[in-house]
Amino acid sequence: MARKQKFTVGWLYPDLMNIYGDRGNILTLLKRAEWRGYQARVIELGRGTTGGMDEVDVFFFGGGQDREQALVYDDLLEHKQEPLEKSVAAGAMVLAVCGGYQLLGHYYQTAEGERFPGIGMIDVKTEAGKKRFIGDVVIDAAIEGLQPATLVGFENHSGRTFLGNAARPLGKVRLGSGNNGSDGTEGCLQGGVLGTYLHGSLLPKNPQLADYLVRRALTRRGVTALSPLDDSAELAAHDRILQRAQPRATTR
Amino acid sequence: MRRTAAVWAGKATGALSRLSGRGGGTTLPGDVARAIDPLVLRKLTADLTEGSVVITGTNGKTTTARLVASLLEGLGKRVIANRAGANLIFGATAAALRSAGPDGRLRAEWGVFEIDEASLPRAVDEIQPRAAVVLNLFRDQLDRYGELEKIATTIESALARLPEGATAILNADDPRVGEIGLGLARKPLWFGLEDPRVAMPTLPHAADARTCPRCGASLVFTAVYLGHDGVYRCPNGDFERPATDIAATDIVLNGFDTVQMNVGATRVNLPVGGLYNAYNALAAFATGQALGLEAEYVAERMGEFKAAFGRQERMDFRGRHLVLVLSKNPAGFNETLRTAVDLANATHFLIGLNDRKADGTDVSWIWDVDFERLRGKAQVVVPGGTRAEDLAVRLKYAGVEADKPQIDPAKALDELVAATPEGTTAHVLCTYTAMLDIRAELVRRGWAKPYWET
Repeated sequence: MARKQKFTVGWLYPDLMNIYGDRGNILTLLKRAEWRGYQARVIELGRGTTGGMDEVDVFFFGGGQDREQALVYDDLLEHKQEPLEKSVAAGAMVLAVCGGYQLLGHYYQTAEGERFPGIGMIDVKTEAGKKRFIGDVVIDAAIEGLQPATLVGFENHSGRTFLGNAARPLGKVRLGSGNNGSDGTEGCLQGGVLGTYLHGSLLPKNPQLADYLVRRALTRRGVTALSPLDDSAELAAHDRILQRAQPRATTR
Repeated sequence: MRRTAAVWAGKATGALSRLSGRGGGTTLPGDVARAIDPLVLRKLTADLTEGSVVITGTNGKTTTARLVASLLEGLGKRVIANRAGANLIFGATAAALRSAGPDGRLRAEWGVFEIDEASLPRAVDEIQPRAAVVLNLFRDQLDRYGELEKIATTIESALARLPEGATAILNADDPRVGEIGLGLARKPLWFGLEDPRVAMPTLPHAADARTCPRCGASLVFTAVYLGHDGVYRCPNGDFERPATDIAATDIVLNGFDTVQMNVGATRVNLPVGGLYNAYNALAAFATGQALGLEAEYVAERMGEFKAAFGRQERMDFRGRHLVLVLSKNPAGFNETLRTAVDLANATHFLIGLNDRKADGTDVSWIWDVDFERLRGKAQVVVPGGTRAEDLAVRLKYAGVEADKPQIDPAKALDELVAATPEGTTAHVLCTYTAMLDIRAELVRRGWAKPYWET
């Protein structure tokens, strides 16, 4: 009997960077791979550990509280940056949400002008804003062939993220605030890194994005297409949020 | 006199609100009275001849407040309390108004208030309590409250402002609460569980406070009771669980029916189930001790306790039994699932997830709940509530077979009734407003009483 193909998720700091139900993203990646016959597993990459990073297909980096984010930065620089960049260069994908997204950029600047450096893997920078952006988000994704072409989620951030030339937006905001509430963009794509403010969790309600990440990561293993799954439950949840972006019917 | 005008206006609002069928008038009267006299709560609670207790924390406020009020009432004391879970400052004010006389005076001995975490500083300033209880700090409604850290700081500042001679009664098992208490000038009264037999081997996924506040190292747990509550220490010796002043030992859990435990030398037999109620009862016990109540009396009185609306409320419908359990955040939900599946052998479920303001508009947290527990155990699961579809997806990825999502509470209830054989018990686990919706439907069908009458 042929041995099952492996699929590996690398979860960066599952204990510290995990405040918005980020496990949903991990479960979605794992389950969808299992349903397709892969032998799926997750490697938890906590502080001080690097083991197995070269085997990871998709990395996930979630959001944390300020206190935790500060603890994570040093470890990221010392232990994770190099193997992470190597993996991405070899074709692995990274999904970074909220705090993880910010930490992969150049820096986060507080309202007082103090700068906390990020590791600069993506060409984005973040500045503190006064008002917190909280609520449902719908974007039109700038990923060719994505079906449905919308992404839905929930944002909760006060950081304003601005994209440099090397990064392109993940999509255009239809509902919500997105990267900074001013230029209409949400998230970023740069090489194998996808950064976004959307949680909810993101992937369970956007199974097409989960498949996009998996497919791209498995290209290096010779996979060109994934077998289709029944996504009716996921898309029903997707549509529920999509409805909130519809202009209200006028009854007057 | 300004306060009399405020009291009259508030009372009139409450009466109108009840007459118009808009609910029990549990908050609005407070709003109206405070607009007329912003000091009305301060003045009214100053009338209390013995004083007040405030209770805060993510989970267990309502039950603990109800327990404490019942202890005091059992002694023949008149107690004012914000019983319907209206726990913002307006709700506390409304409760005081309801009991005030036509002269604008309050004639009662005690006030027992459950207070929302963010409202605690204001409540402490206005109510000037004799005791303040902090039950736990779990992640809950990040969309409304912001980060846990901010809430912890808020609570710490409130406790630092407690009046002279007041006692802070704190859960030693919660690392965040432990950190708060160790920062206080006056030593708090620490309570905690001391029974490794009811502990879990590992931290659940939804644990929050896992690093040492001093050195940042990940805390080591030798016992985990509930969420991140347990026996913890910093591996570098910088921080550890405070020694308990009052502890629960020899705990026996019996589904949603009872909790038995020893507190000191006294056996308590609580007629509601679940380990979280062991914590609530222990907190109430500690409060009783701080207020000078006899342990024997406290235990006896607790044996007659009745749960509050939607908190392990039971009713019968067409030969089936229904247990309603409010479950509103990962820590609470995990504990109700654990109690339902492992201790009560529950098989039929209606799970309601709403995303209104009072529930939290962000439903991401369902991914932190271990719905996997239902796999292979639950025979029927009806996903309900305004976000039933999200719940259905969560159940799918947990490997749990679920029915079609039913947003309409009446349809969800019909589905549950149809799927539950006669003589069987069905469990309804719901977020706050989802529970209100289900209950309203049960009231409409004559199976339950309106919530302000419970």
